[in-house]
Amino acid sequence: MPKPAGKLWSLFSSVKLTIVLLTLIALLSVAGTIIPQQEEAEDLIHRLSPGVAGLFESLQLFDLYHARLFYGLIGLLSLNLVVCSLNRFPLSRRQAFAPPFPAPAGLFTGLPPDHILATGQSQAEATRMLEPCLKQKFRSVRKNETAEGTILSVQRGRCSHFGVYLVHASILIIIAGSIIGSLFGFNAYVTLKEGESAGDALLSGGKGTGRPNFTVRCDKFTAEFYENGFPKTYRTDLSFLRNGRVIYQGPVLVNHPITFENTRFYQSSYNQSRGGTAYISYARGGAAGKALKVREGSVFTLPEGKARATVLRVEENLMEMGPAVKIAIASSRGTATFWLLQYIEEIKRENPDLLSRVPLLNPALFQPYRFTLERIEPIFSTGLQAVYDPGTPVVAAGALVMIIGLLTALWLSHQRFWVSISPADGRALVRVAGRSNRNKAALDRAIDRLCISLRETMKR
Amino acid sequence: MMIHTTILSWVTFVFFAAFVFYLFRLLFNRAFWGSLATATAWAGLAAQTVALLLRWKASYELGIGHIPLSNLYESMIFFAWSIVFIQLALERLTAVRTIGVFVVPVAFLMMAYASIAPGMNDRIEPLIPALQSNWLTGHVVTCFMGYAGFTMAFGCGLIFLLRDFATKTDGWISRLPSSANLDRLMHQTSTLGFIFLTLGIMTGSVWAHYAWGSYWSWDPKETWSLVTWIIYAIMLHARFVRGWQGKRMALMTVFGFASVLFTYFGVNYLPGLHSYLR
Repeated sequence: MPKPAGKLWSLFSSVKLTIVLLTLIALLSVAGTIIPQQEEAEDLIHRLSPGVAGLFESLQLFDLYHARLFYGLIGLLSLNLVVCSLNRFPLSRRQAFAPPFPAPAGLFTGLPPDHILATGQSQAEATRMLEPCLKQKFRSVRKNETAEGTILSVQRGRCSHFGVYLVHASILIIIAGSIIGSLFGFNAYVTLKEGESAGDALLSGGKGTGRPNFTVRCDKFTAEFYENGFPKTYRTDLSFLRNGRVIYQGPVLVNHPITFENTRFYQSSYNQSRGGTAYISYARGGAAGKALKVREGSVFTLPEGKARATVLRVEENLMEMGPAVKIAIASSRGTATFWLLQYIEEIKRENPDLLSRVPLLNPALFQPYRFTLERIEPIFSTGLQAVYDPGTPVVAAGALVMIIGLLTALWLSHQRFWVSISPADGRALVRVAGRSNRNKAALDRAIDRLCISLRETMKR
Repeated sequence: MMIHTTILSWVTFVFFAAFVFYLFRLLFNRAFWGSLATATAWAGLAAQTVALLLRWKASYELGIGHIPLSNLYESMIFFAWSIVFIQLALERLTAVRTIGVFVVPVAFLMMAYASIAPGMNDRIEPLIPALQSNWLTGHVVTCFMGYAGFTMAFGCGLIFLLRDFATKTDGWISRLPSSANLDRLMHQTSTLGFIFLTLGIMTGSVWAHYAWGSYWSWDPKETWSLVTWIIYAIMLHARFVRGWQGKRMALMTVFGFASVLFTYFGVNYLPGLHSYLR
């Protein structure tokens, strides 16, 4: 194979460069975990003087993982990987396909006694018995007749020489996948109130290109909690629409994104919006109550038409006192404004003089009516992350190749065995030896096992 | 106190006893201490396994059933389990016991820290939505097997450095594994750790793909796991291509282990997405 000459080639074919580049990438990565990045850096930027902040920003210190320097190092590493691999590949090929004969010098000298088998058969007979046994174990057996006798050669794990190239290729595949993702994918955050929709305008507000041509609507958000207050479930029911027609519906939960036309939607956060629906009732003296369903801004008149009530606020949790509604009632007596608390009875029990101290919390402030708040149905808004990343399958394929490559390169070894069958006093003497590109201990164990099965074959 | 918590606090002392016996074996050169150390470690591991299974069962009785791998306490217990498991497996495979002197105390310290650290929450708690995933088990198990492999390599590295610094060559120093053996063990355990760490990062990536919307988000734990991965990748290349051996590799195992510890603990002091381990 022609080898392009030049200093550049030898620079990029050096493992020293690999080590330097990997070290720099590691150091830069560490820096990114110490220096606040992206949105988190804003606080720091405000505290720095404009000059320093500007300098740091031009060095891209606040977005290190997307900085020119970082991309440059990844680029150099990729080039280094390719050149190193091209450079070493011929050697690996030679090692993997090295001819078994002539057998390495000194192969059969200094063998331990259990690797030497004395047999009762002649050389030809022993060869005839051992060859099929080896064939069964290793498929292919090479044979060589020398002055000293017959030598059979078998091998396995040739592919272990190439595992490293699979790993190197996998790193390039993963880098390629991440580039595809950042060039052709997009990533956006959308906050939707229940009932609200987002079209492509909102969805494409994020980073990247891709523009989905559909509308997504949040139908319902559900948050469930365990008894200890820990969150149990966050779930949004979504509808996907095109031209006003619903074409797909489904829930999205944490760990269970929903995919529609290659865009994946993730449950990322949620908020309780102000407002919501309050179920209240009022009664006059001992008479039966009347139930109402109100929202912020609702207006209703009390019987006898003299008084007009306005719902000012609907609060999910007013100052840790639970659900509350603020009502103003205008009448000829002026305006009475008060808060209606759902748990007023419990709160009164704990603070018996509450109503005299804080008339604002008295549900019977507007005599002769007494109001009750039954419950509030809050309005939620859900935070969704919309992602389209065509690079993901590429990265996944890269990961698979990497695992196969690592196991081949680190687990397997190229083991080559030679079985010499030589005449000694008319009987065949069988000697077994081996060579391996790594893991000498595993080779020794393999030879031990091979000797045992050869011995059994000879006994039969 | 639940029965599994009681067993686990006893296991802490069992591991300490095992460490003392490993040390006696090295110092006094009696085979008896070695057998006792191994037997004690096995007993501790068995009791710990039972305790983990009981804790798992108890979580189902509380109606929130999940594998006990969901917070810092449970992960430290499992880290200790992985270390002792790999130590005992290696003893069976190579008949080298001495590494136990250096790695069993790491398991003991993990257990002790989990039991007595202030603010350590040892209650069984329900899984928050982000952790409700089938990838939890695979991710945590592969990561800690990787960490345990690196802990073994660190133990071998320490013994190597000890041999290297020692001025005398007789007495207990002579009973340490040979430099060649240590070199091989350092390499093999780092390789084991490397393969498991790779799997751990990959399972984490797949999980992040489903939970966080991206297979990689430069969360500090992700980043530090990559840094650790790079350190061991450098180590493998230095050995395979540049023929590094012995002392340099021993220093690399110590350096790599420091990075492992930072990936596991240190990162908790940085803001990020892996906050359930705080």
